[in-house]
Amino acid sequence: MTIFSSANLKRLFTILVITAVVALMTGTPGSSSAPPTTGVHGSFLERVSWFGFFAAPRWTVFLTLGVIVWLLVSLYRPRARAIRQGLDHVMAAPRGLTAKRPARLTLMAIALVIVIFLPKFVHESFWMYLIVEQIGVWILLALGLNVVVGFAGLLDLGFAAFYAIGAYTTAWFTGALPVPALFHHHIPTLWVIPIGIVAAMIFGVLLGTPTLRLRGDYLAIVTLGFALIIDDFVEIQNGVTGGGVGTSAIPHPALNLGFYHFDWGLSPTPYYYLCLLFIIVFIVVFTSLEHSRIGRAWVAIREDEVAAESVGINPLKYKLMAFAVGAASGGFGGVMSAGLVGIINPSFFVYSVSVNVLVLVIFGGMGSIWGVAIGAIIIQTATSYLDNYQPWGYQFNDLYMYIGALLIIMMIFRPAGLLPSRRRAREFAAAEGGEEIHTDEVLTGDQP
Amino acid sequence: MSDEATSAATDLIIEAEHLTLCFGGVVSLRDVSIEMRRGEILAVIGPNGAGKTSLFNSLTGVYQPQEGSIIFSPRDGTKLSVIGKKTHRIALAGVSRTFQASRLFSALSVFENVKIGAEDHRGIGLVGALVKGPRTRRGEHRSDEVVLELLEFVGLTGEANLIASQLSYGARRRLEIARALATHPEVILLDEPAAGTNPSEKIELTALIRRVRDELGVSVLLIEHDMKLVMSLAERLYVLNFGSVIAEGSPAEIRANPVVIDAYLGSSHEETSA
Repeated sequence: MTIFSSANLKRLFTILVITAVVALMTGTPGSSSAPPTTGVHGSFLERVSWFGFFAAPRWTVFLTLGVIVWLLVSLYRPRARAIRQGLDHVMAAPRGLTAKRPARLTLMAIALVIVIFLPKFVHESFWMYLIVEQIGVWILLALGLNVVVGFAGLLDLGFAAFYAIGAYTTAWFTGALPVPALFHHHIPTLWVIPIGIVAAMIFGVLLGTPTLRLRGDYLAIVTLGFALIIDDFVEIQNGVTGGGVGTSAIPHPALNLGFYHFDWGLSPTPYYYLCLLFIIVFIVVFTSLEHSRIGRAWVAIREDEVAAESVGINPLKYKLMAFAVGAASGGFGGVMSAGLVGIINPSFFVYSVSVNVLVLVIFGGMGSIWGVAIGAIIIQTATSYLDNYQPWGYQFNDLYMYIGALLIIMMIFRPAGLLPSRRRAREFAAAEGGEEIHTDEVLTGDQP
Repeated sequence: MSDEATSAATDLIIEAEHLTLCFGGVVSLRDVSIEMRRGEILAVIGPNGAGKTSLFNSLTGVYQPQEGSIIFSPRDGTKLSVIGKKTHRIALAGVSRTFQASRLFSALSVFENVKIGAEDHRGIGLVGALVKGPRTRRGEHRSDEVVLELLEFVGLTGEANLIASQLSYGARRRLEIARALATHPEVILLDEPAAGTNPSEKIELTALIRRVRDELGVSVLLIEHDMKLVMSLAERLYVLNFGSVIAEGSPAEIRANPVVIDAYLGSSHEETSA
């Protein structure tokens, strides 16, 4: 295969389109005083410095980068294809199951284009801010809880605890808490991301190890208790966490690579793209997990723990994994939120936050990544709209009345959620048909 | 029961000795001793409530008998004491099982059901599953091949992409056997494999179970109520009644054993009165 074969030129085109999108994303934000085209225009023609050597329009930088990526991909392609062909004969059967339908791919592409260009058309930074804080961060939280509740079938009523751990870890390591930062060394907010994730995971594993052995509803009670403890701790420990006032000195994230410097600052648009990037990463990672051996083990445990054990699956190990992954996403949401808002206090992590995330998962469809993401967008948009416009005499306190009503209606008409996952929908169908319901009597059928 | 049998008796794959299992005051197994030879098809029969499934659950670590010992001896020469071990450890060591009521993963495809069993659950963690490096890919490739071989073995290749709950009853039982075989067991415990199947499916199942032993070299321990199937398949039988072993021997010996006949007649009286 030569580099200039038609297939490879097509690939060049795709890569250039992607680079153009990246150029737009990192370019001039929209503003309320200028027409929408200004952002597009500026993103390509604005003159930038080439790593400090000379100045040229932005498009030249991105074009060069695109071509370099294309050359690298062209060199790697033949090897990758050889590996895939080797797998094809065995994978023919299973691949038919997970084949992506073209309609679905098209929808995904359209959705991607819309979310990428959204900031160019939202002119009020107030709304942009709401989109990131009230929708973006919540999608991240809901995607994480979906792993625990939807994939592994573990009911977690205290997800806000991990969210709080992420946020307070950020505050601690950036030196924003009353207690001095670790080793008295302040770390930039962006570099706290892995620390926040690991901290939340550690708490997840610590909480999960003794409690995940329990079956059924015990776990829900334990997680609930854990969240209440964390919430109380941050509220009471004035000297450590700043108490009820919290802290407001968390620095904005900034990227400093020597030759390149970027400060997320006060404008919400850069946060939007940061959040979007991570949402996409989460979706890709969780989709891949769902279809990996771990995802299958989760389904097995969720459906029938005894049968899963009988094929060699250690339920505790896989439940802990789900718990850790969920906690990590919660912790990450905390870091994002703390970096964006700059302020944290205990009211961000109260019990209703856990409930709200759970509602997003149930509404969207447990176990369905796209369902949960879309469900989160719908509910959070509606919530933000109600809170900010207060139509029809709506008041803040009414929110959970409406959400409760929504849940009841959902459970009657669409119990598997807005966009149910295929696996979950089958389980619901089987349960309603009254077959494949296992009780312990089945296992111990021989018992007197 | 000739010299051949006694010489094979030295090579035991499962030795369960003096098992006693109680639930509160209810004795489920009372001083049960069972010896299983490598490569044989052994059956455990007995009336309802005799403790057959309790025995299976004890052998696979689901129940922990209060007294007695269970030694599993895989081909590599090691000895594994089963009591006190977790079910998944025992499964990975080479003792596999099916269930009385089919316990398939009903929302997954036939292929995925077997694949869950075929996968190496000890190996790669979260990172490995995510990054999908060469090691993970090789593992996937290997388990896919195992799955396809097993589906062909039980005759479900054409149904690979169906959802497990769409299968007929007989096909489900075959799928359960394929799933149990996917862990590369040395012994497979079949709990009433022919329950709920029709006569022609029973014939298929009998042939399949025999092939499991003959072609794959897996020892088979069987619980079954269908006497015709048991007698044609098993080389040796244990008879349980009220939690105790009341007889042991070849099908011909068992058929002629007055104690066994008594237990069965007695139990059928109880069943009708219950």
